[in-house]
Amino acid sequence: MIVNKRVQSSAAAAVSIFMFLLIWHLATRFSELGNILPSPIEVLTAFFVGFVVPVGTHTMFVHIVWSLSRVIPFYILGSAVGIVLGITMGWYPKAEAVFRPIFEIIRPIPPLAWIPISIVWFGIGEGSKWFLIFLAAFITVTMNVYTGAKVVDPVIVRCARMLGANERQIFTTIVLPSSVPFIFAGLQVGLSSSWATVVAAEMIRSSEGVGWIIISSLDVNDTVQTLIGIVGIGTVGYVLAIIIRGIESKLCKWNKRGI
Amino acid sequence: MKKGMKNLLLSTGSLTVFLLLWWICTDILEIVSPRTLPSPLKVFTTFIDKLTNKNPDGGTLIMHTLSSLRIALLGYGMGIFFGIPLGILMAWYSIVDLFVRPLFDLLKPIPGVAWVPLMIILFGIGLLSKATVIFISAIVPCVLNAYTGIKQTKDVHIWVAKTLGATNTQMLFKIAIPTSLPYIMTGMRVALGQAWVTIVAAELLASTIGLGFMIQQSRGMYRPDIIIVGMLTIGFLGSFLTYLLGLLEKAVVKGWHT
Repeated sequence: MIVNKRVQSSAAAAVSIFMFLLIWHLATRFSELGNILPSPIEVLTAFFVGFVVPVGTHTMFVHIVWSLSRVIPFYILGSAVGIVLGITMGWYPKAEAVFRPIFEIIRPIPPLAWIPISIVWFGIGEGSKWFLIFLAAFITVTMNVYTGAKVVDPVIVRCARMLGANERQIFTTIVLPSSVPFIFAGLQVGLSSSWATVVAAEMIRSSEGVGWIIISSLDVNDTVQTLIGIVGIGTVGYVLAIIIRGIESKLCKWNKRGI
Repeated sequence: MKKGMKNLLLSTGSLTVFLLLWWICTDILEIVSPRTLPSPLKVFTTFIDKLTNKNPDGGTLIMHTLSSLRIALLGYGMGIFFGIPLGILMAWYSIVDLFVRPLFDLLKPIPGVAWVPLMIILFGIGLLSKATVIFISAIVPCVLNAYTGIKQTKDVHIWVAKTLGATNTQMLFKIAIPTSLPYIMTGMRVALGQAWVTIVAAELLASTIGLGFMIQQSRGMYRPDIIIVGMLTIGFLGSFLTYLLGLLEKAVVKGWHT
């Protein structure tokens, strides 16, 4: 029965994606739309050819690696700082009183709105992109971890206190473990936010990377290149999300979340 | 009570120290050049001035704000209008789920910004291209949350309704949708944040007015004071819109909280 359901849903998925591509193909083939939008066959061929033949200056693969090499180190750094600050603010009221007001000024400003000032501060090179990615990861992770450390069940804490646990024990055996699901929620949102940020930052100024593929296609009016850029960004974003979900299900099996 | 007062003092203290340090570094000791970081006083006077002054980017702060708000809310409204019913349909009718879900999964991992150049090619740099990009980024959280919300419907409630002879439509409107309301409101909140981020990004890339355009132009003209005013305005408006939505949420889902 379960196997049947699976077959049914993959069949439906295949049909619906095929129909979508077919309509797209027919629309570009037989209507005015064909003048500005390439057909899906052209886009998919160009996407795979892009792994062998350079798109602009590099192959697709090199562009993706460039973007990832900007994202990953500073995503990890931003998340690490975010986890520390979030837990400290969530658990120690004094730290909350000191850091919260300043954090509250920064938090609502979207990472992308930092692009102009980061260029003023760090130039148009790699520095400004690193800063933006750090910020994107830092803000989302801090926010989630802070919430996690705030909603620790007070009954458990009081229980531990009654049984004679000291503050350090309460912190390491109760507060930390119960924040883990929130840390992962933050890591997941932070990763997609960092990925979106690097794309935007590369669109503003860069000479390689997936954002560059898209923005340089505007200059040469090449919609095939725009679309392979979008396909590349979507694929990498999807793979990154799967990887982090895999790590989460390995590390905290007891916590299953929905979609 | 005493503890609360102490923390309040700490908070004001930390903000004051932050502003003082900023002021000392810029105006007093002049460690940082005003071309990189203007003093807090300068930011404040620029804010007041920019409310009425069109220079140097061709619009007052109010004009830019209204333009951004108009486009963001237009795209956001469309996202809600189509996204929530789509999420509900997907969760309630498995046939819709089977066929729409795969397409939705293809669309989901692409960040809103990535669509900007394509939409510029298709619709030009005006209102339509930006509203479409915002629509795409707002619809995703609306669909996801409405879907999750409907899926939370308790089997027991469905059984009771069935025993009492409710039709499928009645069960959808009397049980499933009320159950999903808190989730739908969450989706609307996330979508609002997304819409606001995306409008700023779209204006950074291509625009002739709007807050994103203002900060991008000011970078070219070495006016970091206007950039900071713009960033703070963007941040403040973002929180304010979320706050308004929170009020609506309280009014709508009263009593549904478990």
